[in-house]
Amino acid sequence: MTTAAEIAGRVRDAAERGAPLRIRGRGHWMSANRPVQAAAELSLADCTGITEYVPGDLTLTARAGTPLAEIADATREHGQWLALDPFGGDDGSIGATVATASSGPLATGFGTPRDQLLGVEFVTGGGDVVRGGGRVVKNVAGFDLVRLNTGAWGTLGVLTEVTVRLRALPAARETLALPVADDERALQELCTALRGLAPAPFACELLSADLAAMAGLPPRATLLVRIGGNTQSVRAQRAALATLGGGTAPVVDDVVWHRVRTASTAGDATWRLSRGPSRVAATWTAGRDALAPFAGAWMHGSPLRGTVRCTVPAASWAAGPLDHLLHAVTHPFDGARIAETLPTHAWSVLPSPVMDRLSRGVRAAFDPHRVLNPGIMGAIA
Amino acid sequence: MTAAAEPARGAVDAALAARLARIVGDRRVLFRASELVAYASDGLPSYHVQPACAVFPGTRDETVAVVRELAAARVAFVPRGAGTGLSGGALADGVVLLGLNRLTRILSVDPDNRLAVVEPGVVNVALSRAAAPYGLHYAPDPSSQAACTIGGNVAENAGGPHCLKYGVTTNHIVALTVLLPDGEVVTLGRADGEAEGYDLVGTFVGSEGCFGVALDITVRLTPDPQAVRTLLADFTSLDAAARAVSAIIASGIVPAALEMLDAPTIRMVEASIYAAGYPVDAAAVLLIELDGALAGLEQDVTAVDAMCRAEGARAVRVARDEAERARLWQGRKKAFGAMGRLSSHLVVQDAVVPRTQLPRVLARIQEIAERHGVTVCNVFHAGDGNVHPNVAYDASNADETARVHRAMREIMDACIAAGGTITGEHGVGVDKLPYMDRIFSPQSLRAMCDLRDVFDPDRRSNPGKVVPVHSCREWHMAPAARRPAP
Repeated sequence: MTTAAEIAGRVRDAAERGAPLRIRGRGHWMSANRPVQAAAELSLADCTGITEYVPGDLTLTARAGTPLAEIADATREHGQWLALDPFGGDDGSIGATVATASSGPLATGFGTPRDQLLGVEFVTGGGDVVRGGGRVVKNVAGFDLVRLNTGAWGTLGVLTEVTVRLRALPAARETLALPVADDERALQELCTALRGLAPAPFACELLSADLAAMAGLPPRATLLVRIGGNTQSVRAQRAALATLGGGTAPVVDDVVWHRVRTASTAGDATWRLSRGPSRVAATWTAGRDALAPFAGAWMHGSPLRGTVRCTVPAASWAAGPLDHLLHAVTHPFDGARIAETLPTHAWSVLPSPVMDRLSRGVRAAFDPHRVLNPGIMGAIA
Repeated sequence: MTAAAEPARGAVDAALAARLARIVGDRRVLFRASELVAYASDGLPSYHVQPACAVFPGTRDETVAVVRELAAARVAFVPRGAGTGLSGGALADGVVLLGLNRLTRILSVDPDNRLAVVEPGVVNVALSRAAAPYGLHYAPDPSSQAACTIGGNVAENAGGPHCLKYGVTTNHIVALTVLLPDGEVVTLGRADGEAEGYDLVGTFVGSEGCFGVALDITVRLTPDPQAVRTLLADFTSLDAAARAVSAIIASGIVPAALEMLDAPTIRMVEASIYAAGYPVDAAAVLLIELDGALAGLEQDVTAVDAMCRAEGARAVRVARDEAERARLWQGRKKAFGAMGRLSSHLVVQDAVVPRTQLPRVLARIQEIAERHGVTVCNVFHAGDGNVHPNVAYDASNADETARVHRAMREIMDACIAAGGTITGEHGVGVDKLPYMDRIFSPQSLRAMCDLRDVFDPDRRSNPGKVVPVHSCREWHMAPAARRPAP
């Protein structure tokens, strides 16, 4: 097992030699092909293991390189779960999930890593081992170094340990697949109705026909909904969804979620569009227009979060000039656009994410020698 | 490494007060000691320190102008909302107090996207009232919600009983416009979609006024539950009540709130104008709220009732109507007020312990209290493990005061030893400052200092709070001198 002290030694050494490090979790997913100017790699693949898990506390502490699958196995045994299901699957590590702020369908019901995280240990660019937060579910002691590191792509510190909040698995839970029409007007109505559901579902994803087929469902636009609760609650939720589905809401095997999460393969280009749940139907249309030129492109969206995720398979974009892909990624859209995975040479063509004075200051304070993943968050970080 | 070598400060004198008055008007600047005495304490009556000057801007533009004036004068200041905080965080010791309680506009409510934009002085409950016509509310509900402000809630990352199910303040803040201590205005996060880059919203929330002033705050609103059931479970032992808490949490049912009041608290509440009808001979009561969709709610009520009885509850009663429910909650939310009847001073603890440790920690608290001859009132967020052992005492009695403080230190030690933290929702302020290096290493505290220096390199915004000064590296050197060029 790689210890925090060993990692701190590596980072200090890198800082002294001016030899930046590319931080790597398990290397299973989320490499994102982001350009990093590094002289060497710092792997966390051996920094693994659950260090503390008291089921009654509903919290778990694990070394950063621990695979999500290991956490899922350990908690399932006690009727619990970590409600985090980032795209890419459970082979990736908890540390990479936090560092990249990656989430998946369950973000609809449970939020993103920032909402599940209780504590972190990390090694700063100066080689200090620092802890933020703790192992309890409520904590305001000190400034929030926990959320600061969430989504920082390791540029403020190498995560070495993470404490997360768990939940008890509900007594009843199931997944329903509703066939839906995805023209903008029908979708708008559907999304308005979804916002009225009580309780809100655990997950609710609109799949394009291609993605539905890849998930083993009939090849048509499908609303995939995951619900849970006590038996009466689940029965009522199922009935409400059947009404939305025009009288039908077939139960499907939970394995469809795994298929949706792992639909991407290496080399695919993926980006997200978002601008609030009330306009998600128009966002869906914008995504579809952007993807139109590409054979086999697919998308899915979270109507209750207002996000749409677009993917162009590697073979599809590689068949034409790179400009075609960049044109799709930058297709006119008046909301937030976040590139997830792109071909390495595409990142430099896109505008850097804004790095304001505070972000630059934070980066300089925590990694003054710029040895942690330099370039991964754009030109400045 | 001496505080005397802090960055140079300008004087808070009549000339500065006059310049501030030109921005906000004469009536909105207090400079006489007799007027400033009202601002010598926040919600913790044990601390009394007086600001040198207090200024109350009425608009965003005035606030920006005031902070720029203070920056030009190199004067330190303390942002303050309603002053209901319980950690001494809003105390201004000889510096300028910046009152934000006049910035009370609700700028927008967007029911479709469940968002609202508010100024920092909006009172917590006023926001929920404004959202009510849309079937929405603002979920974090500190006990002081009738008085405390959203700006103060953001600064403290405030909690409240219903945070068990709905999350604390930081889970509900989407974006912020922040006035940095040097007068620059920046936008953090975005409300119209996912934000990219560092989570500066999450970093700002809970920074206790040390990172600047929130000029406007975009909050997430929460749909009102279709139905609510409030249960009162009556126990003859504290331990049984604590075990019931563990059983409910482990069951997977997430109550909206799960609160515990012990015997001394019950008796104090029942003897006050906030009497809630709690059984005065109980060792502890649990106030349990279940909410959500109507379908399935009774099933949870039945399950929780059974779990309480299985752990030894004498009785479990469900509030019949809204009036009874409100009465049960009033006793809980006004418990601190009820303690004020007893004596002039109150020590408030806010530790959080892992939930399986609750029975052990509560027994330990009782043992410590008995040994020091003090009466501890436990009224707290049991579902989160967030304990509030409070002691009302007479500060003019030196012996009693010493015993109370000894007991409180031991209680904090016990909570830390159980794997807990020193504050769950009240903040560090000055009250919990002595405990910071008990739970954080020098390296971690230094990292927090470094983070603060990014937002406030001159360390003028709420100086002396949150992180002990001695733990900051190179305190003698202005931070600007050691930052690498951007």
